[in-house]
Amino acid sequence: MPRLTVLAALAVFLCVGGFWQPYDPDTVDMLARHSGMTASHLLGTDHLGRDLLSRIMAGGWRTACVILSVGAIGFLFGTLLGTAAAVLGGWREKVILRFCEFFIMMPTLIVALTAAAIFGLSPLSAGLALGLACVGPHALLAHSLSQRVLGQPFMLAARSLGVAPARMITGHLLPNTLPLMFAYVGNQAGLAAVAYASLAFIGLGADPSKPDWGSMLFEYRVFIFDHPMLMIWPGTAVALTVSVMNRVFDDGQE
Amino acid sequence: MGLVRFGMQSIAGLLVISLASFSVITLMPADPVAIAIRVWSLPATDETVAALRAEWGLDQPVPLRYLHWLADFLGGDWGRSFRTGEPVLAEFVERLPVSLSLGLAGLALAIALAIPLGFFSAAYPGSVADRMSRALSVFVQAVPAFWLGLVLLWVLGVQLRWVRPFANDWTAIVLPVLLIALHSVAVLSRVYRRDLKETAGQAHFRTALAKGLSERQALWRHGHRSALYALLSALRSEAGWVIGSTATMEILFGLAGISQFLVQSIAARDQMVLQAYVMVIAVWMLVLNASANLAMRLLDPRLARCPG
Repeated sequence: MPRLTVLAALAVFLCVGGFWQPYDPDTVDMLARHSGMTASHLLGTDHLGRDLLSRIMAGGWRTACVILSVGAIGFLFGTLLGTAAAVLGGWREKVILRFCEFFIMMPTLIVALTAAAIFGLSPLSAGLALGLACVGPHALLAHSLSQRVLGQPFMLAARSLGVAPARMITGHLLPNTLPLMFAYVGNQAGLAAVAYASLAFIGLGADPSKPDWGSMLFEYRVFIFDHPMLMIWPGTAVALTVSVMNRVFDDGQE
Repeated sequence: MGLVRFGMQSIAGLLVISLASFSVITLMPADPVAIAIRVWSLPATDETVAALRAEWGLDQPVPLRYLHWLADFLGGDWGRSFRTGEPVLAEFVERLPVSLSLGLAGLALAIALAIPLGFFSAAYPGSVADRMSRALSVFVQAVPAFWLGLVLLWVLGVQLRWVRPFANDWTAIVLPVLLIALHSVAVLSRVYRRDLKETAGQAHFRTALAKGLSERQALWRHGHRSALYALLSALRSEAGWVIGSTATMEILFGLAGISQFLVQSIAARDQMVLQAYVMVIAVWMLVLNASANLAMRLLDPRLARCPG
């Protein structure tokens, strides 16, 4: 239960950031530059007097969009392809698996890098690219899980009882594979947050005026001499988000 | 037999990648000619536009351009950068060693560290090595390497004053290699440890113990080979990660590698550079994959005997 509470708290923090921040994250206030941590600016302000907490919250929402779209795309298409491959069998199974393996060979970050370079970096384009890159491994996992379940005696029993194929998949196959798939997808979506931060840090096609955790780190890296907290906070946000995601979805895998 | 088949598959894969990336890159929304005219403040007359298009071959239909590009690319002419007018190949030849040595040094260091770490955490469960490798694998998943690099620069450079942050000296080589290796060390040492543990549960391992080997000797003599095999197969997926972190490290430490070049070329929609980058990465992945496969074949004679 405490795990779910932490996850809920994280979700609330990330979602609230999409609609409300203490200050406008883009308002420049040259009088309040580098204010440090004060009562009015909880995490201080940056070199342009922008409120850091507001920028982190706004960036949190953008990160949450990436996590959600990566999770949704990877889960949906991965389960679909993997289950289809296992159920169909024969040459169609081979084609799907070969396709997925080929997809895996291209490194995730490179796929996303190219997509970001071409379409510009936004939560949508990054989420799409990282999500598509996730489909391959998900499909392979779904395939191997489904095959294991299909070999079980109760599947044979169901088939000999004359259960319709569609009913077999929804009623007997998926309930056995989905929980594990779900844990895996949560883990992968957490990693996508790191990948998104890396992309924004590289700055390919990213809009520097938009507060992303990665681009904030790139912008604030020059202040490590005088104002190190500027780069500590966004990094902490990334690390916390990902470790919460990993802890919640990692149900004793080792 | 297996070699021929592998070669055919690789060539087909590279062709598919080149075709896919060529079509995506040409269909990019922004027009390189418009950008060039703006950047170089050329007069935006019809003649200039037509001249630039003709010079870069943009006036031809896309399939023809692809074939042209492919023929030139194979012949060693990678085109000229739209941005600088310099040959792309020369730029890559200059920058590739930087990225390659970063990535390969990172991978090599990772393997060198992962084996002892994995071995001692398997041989002594619950020991310092075991707990360290477990903590490390949790840590590197959540903490982006480039942020860790920033924090390290802050601690080592600003607090302790051991290094000069963002300076162009040996620390700008050593730190990135360490950071690139860190993630792979965690992943590979866990893989290695898991495989050793599996061996320890098998009958031939118990026989070895019964013959009087100590647990450590038995693990090394009877488990190391197969664990190394598992490590190599994990290395294939780790390679992609290494390339990605090389990119962030080049940006963070200001190293003149190919990813830095890519970032500079993106704003100009430099199609030739983008295309070359995708191809270089694809070949790199392929070579790493092939060498891991080759090493696995050498380790496991059963694989070498069966074709394919």
